[in-house]
Amino acid sequence: MTEIHQELHERRILGTELLWAFGVGVLIAAILSMIVFTALSIGVNPPSNVERLDPKALHLSGEFAEDNLGTSVGSDGRVVVRVIATQFAFLPRCIPVPVGRPVTLRFVAPDVLHGLLISGTNVNTMVVPGYVAQVHTEFTRTGDLLMPCHEYCGLGHSEMWATVQVLPENQFQPDSNGRVSCAQR
Amino acid sequence: MHSVKRLCLAHFWVAFAFFAAACAIGTWQMWVRSPLGASVGTPGQYYMLVTAHGVALAFVLTTFFIMGFGYFVATTALDRQLPGKAWAWGAYWLAVVGVVVAFAPIMNGQASVLYTFYPPLTGSAWFYIGLVLLVVASWIWAVLMMVAMTAWKRENPGRPVPLAMFATVANAVMWLWTTVGVAVQLLFQVIPAALGLVHTIDVGLSRTLFSWTLHAIVYFWLIPAYIAFYTMVPRAAGGRLYSDTMGRLTFILFLVYSLPVGLHHLLMDPEHGNATKFIQVVLTAFVSVPTLLTIFTITASLEIAGRLRGGRGPFGWIATLPWDRPMVLATGLSFVMLGFGGFGGLINMGYGMNAMVHNTSWVTAHFHLIFGGSVVIMYFAICYEIWPRLTGREHPTLSLLRLQLWSWFVGMMVMTLPWHWLGLQGQWRRVANFNYADPIIAGWGPWVIVSLIGGIILLASALLFLRNLAVLHRGAVLAVARPLYAIAVHPPQRVPAVLNSFGLWNVLVLVLMLVAYGLPIAQFLIEPSPSAIVHRMR
Amino acid sequence: MSDSHETPSIDRRLLDQPWRFWSTVAVAGTLLGGIILGALIIPVVQGRSAGLDAYTAICRALGILPGSPAQPQPSDRVQRTPVSQVVWTSELLHILARADPARGRTKALESCAACHGETGIAVAPDVPHLAGQSGPAIYKQLSDYRTGSRAHDLMAGIARALDETALADIAAYYAGRPMRNPNPATLAPAPAEIITLVELGDPRRGIPPCASCHRAGSGGPIETPVLAEQRDEYFIQQINLYASGQRRNDLYARMRTIAAQLTPSEIAGLAAYYRAGFR
Repeated sequence: MTEIHQELHERRILGTELLWAFGVGVLIAAILSMIVFTALSIGVNPPSNVERLDPKALHLSGEFAEDNLGTSVGSDGRVVVRVIATQFAFLPRCIPVPVGRPVTLRFVAPDVLHGLLISGTNVNTMVVPGYVAQVHTEFTRTGDLLMPCHEYCGLGHSEMWATVQVLPENQFQPDSNGRVSCAQR
Repeated sequence: MHSVKRLCLAHFWVAFAFFAAACAIGTWQMWVRSPLGASVGTPGQYYMLVTAHGVALAFVLTTFFIMGFGYFVATTALDRQLPGKAWAWGAYWLAVVGVVVAFAPIMNGQASVLYTFYPPLTGSAWFYIGLVLLVVASWIWAVLMMVAMTAWKRENPGRPVPLAMFATVANAVMWLWTTVGVAVQLLFQVIPAALGLVHTIDVGLSRTLFSWTLHAIVYFWLIPAYIAFYTMVPRAAGGRLYSDTMGRLTFILFLVYSLPVGLHHLLMDPEHGNATKFIQVVLTAFVSVPTLLTIFTITASLEIAGRLRGGRGPFGWIATLPWDRPMVLATGLSFVMLGFGGFGGLINMGYGMNAMVHNTSWVTAHFHLIFGGSVVIMYFAICYEIWPRLTGREHPTLSLLRLQLWSWFVGMMVMTLPWHWLGLQGQWRRVANFNYADPIIAGWGPWVIVSLIGGIILLASALLFLRNLAVLHRGAVLAVARPLYAIAVHPPQRVPAVLNSFGLWNVLVLVLMLVAYGLPIAQFLIEPSPSAIVHRMR
Repeated sequence: MSDSHETPSIDRRLLDQPWRFWSTVAVAGTLLGGIILGALIIPVVQGRSAGLDAYTAICRALGILPGSPAQPQPSDRVQRTPVSQVVWTSELLHILARADPARGRTKALESCAACHGETGIAVAPDVPHLAGQSGPAIYKQLSDYRTGSRAHDLMAGIARALDETALADIAAYYAGRPMRNPNPATLAPAPAEIITLVELGDPRRGIPPCASCHRAGSGGPIETPVLAEQRDEYFIQQINLYASGQRRNDLYARMRTIAAQLTPSEIAGLAAYYRAGFR
């Protein structure tokens, strides 16, 4: 091969690579567009909240004092669930929620890192001491769901789980204070 | 070889001794958490051994292997003496001391905090101090790699640095950037807490600093596999490297894009805003570029080899490739695992889909498949290729080598495919024993047992690997003088200075890190997280 | 070779220029695109549909204000009754770490030794041993007696008479008393189901292993007491108080939820297990 041929051939090789790189670019653009599209159309966001709360004094915070935990329905009809994730249990251990209504879940940890998911749903967040972890969701099917701690929190991590009871509207009955308890089965 | 043989072998044998032990531990863990071993072992033992498994594989196997391989490349690709060989031995012993100091508390149950640390839980301070020593040793290695390249460039002005060495130095530079995050976390937060000097800790800052390291460290582990793809595979297959320029670009992209993306490990965390997460998700998307470029370039290189061997038609060249050679076979198997693992990674990347799989077995499956599968199988292939050069003896038979590679591939697939499925079902991570009485969990039992079978195959394969290397230490010595490194279709005569050095790329890394990690870190300096109580485990 | 000696710098700069230019453009473009989409367009559009102004939505996306740019933020500022007033601040933990056992001994001889013994070995069956107990655990209970979070007429009076430093010193004194370290195997049998409960817990009932908090150095909650060598009468009494909800100064109901699920035979078995000195 002469030098000019060589250079032409080398350019052709580079050309095929650039073509491939263009395809890669299209793939990346497609994936990112999907993320942007779901963010703009249905408000999909990661569970960011950046709400600081002293983990050492949660029991004095009012909102996360023991008798304010669990499911409550505000005067505006909003369902808010407040849960403590501690070594090695969730408080409360059973969480009632209504089916087909927006629910805001708020979690805090007083001690170490925790995390949770609710099986069969997209509810998934870390619970970092110092912050309120918050997830907005809507449950679509009734039934009992498993809510395990999914982040290593110490030697009792494997036994840390709670139950989420997704109730039909007629069984989701707030008392006079707007509080709801799990149905006894 | 310029007499670094003993140095390389010393590194490799530490790496693979810990590797084999970690495989045995991993198999035990899978037994304990399966329905078959429900009442075996206590959580204390389980998490102690999870920590040992993670530290042995993620820190010991990788660091020692990469250091040893770096010394090998620096002397063979540059064909000159290793400058500062005494320093290299010093770094080796420092690393060995570090590993001993770290493992003493682990095996004593005083550091069951897993290899990813999780403050405000803290273990014995010696655990962290040992790991710091290991990192310091690797810094010495990184500097030696840069010194070796600089010395070569001085002797060969204007000539392109051989690709294998260019890539090794790219990895060394990246490693220096990478370890900044974890070093700051350990020295300023975790070690003072473990020593009892402070009693509370900013967990948000701590997680953010660790995330700085957490993604790029995976690329540190992965680059030796890519060095093999670019510089050894084309020669082993009997062909040429399709494009040397693409090789350089790939390693540069690894350096630039693997750092400012660590926040995607915190997508489900509450302490960062949506916007900063989004920016890093965009950057994360670009991390797939070097891998996708590599798949194209290496496939093209293999096609050249296949056609030279008489392959015809669009796919005929695949059949004519020398699949009996370990390096070629490993590459094929590695690509298959990379395909599955890469797909899993794309799912993890978007925060919408990540919510489905975060901290489930899906993630465990993903990194076992990518690192334990596609990367470690290339570590095997590299060893099979260079061991004859280190010991001066040829493999008595290749069939046991092929059996070992195949069994590793089969074991990894059998282990990780059920994990992906279980992760989608919501099986969560880091659990010592599942409650198989629960109807949801009971359905997982059979799949957990299938993955345990995969683990047993992997353990057998790991032991066969040690055997395949060990036999090369006995018998008559023969000089091995086959060429190792591949030549490009168009060997570079002159390359732009930016493709022959790292100045520009370091500036771009700095800019990217300032933008990507500026606000995420500054927010804790402006308004620290309310501090959490240190929980000491010892 | 010769021409590269003559014009290396100009030549290489020319070769370099497009690389420098395009790589900078690519990186800057990526960053700019990410910032405009992530910090501007997405939050503003999301905020509009959630009824938030653009400024609030952007601040939320950046993490300057709490909440999601796509959702209204719930509020709840009701004052409730806490089950304990103790807050493990960094300052308090420093006080505990620097507490003086010698000062504590003087105070303990005045106020505590009559019931709990000079060496922390109590005589009466309903009085706990304190020898080798964890310092933060002793401090927490004294503090709760003082604030009334844990009810006990006598202890409330004693604790109210002491200041915070005195509580910390007394805690340090008893924490430093040696335990008796008997050979537990000779004192009591350890039935398999009790060992299982201590080591593995019961995942079906969501009971974590006792050892995951109560074994020294397990990394559990800081105020967790040591149970080894504790007297069985006191152990059973307190578990029953937790189970019935009469005692409720355990933060986040950590013990109440567990105690309520234990059977009487399990409680007795655990009491004997710990009484014998198992850890």
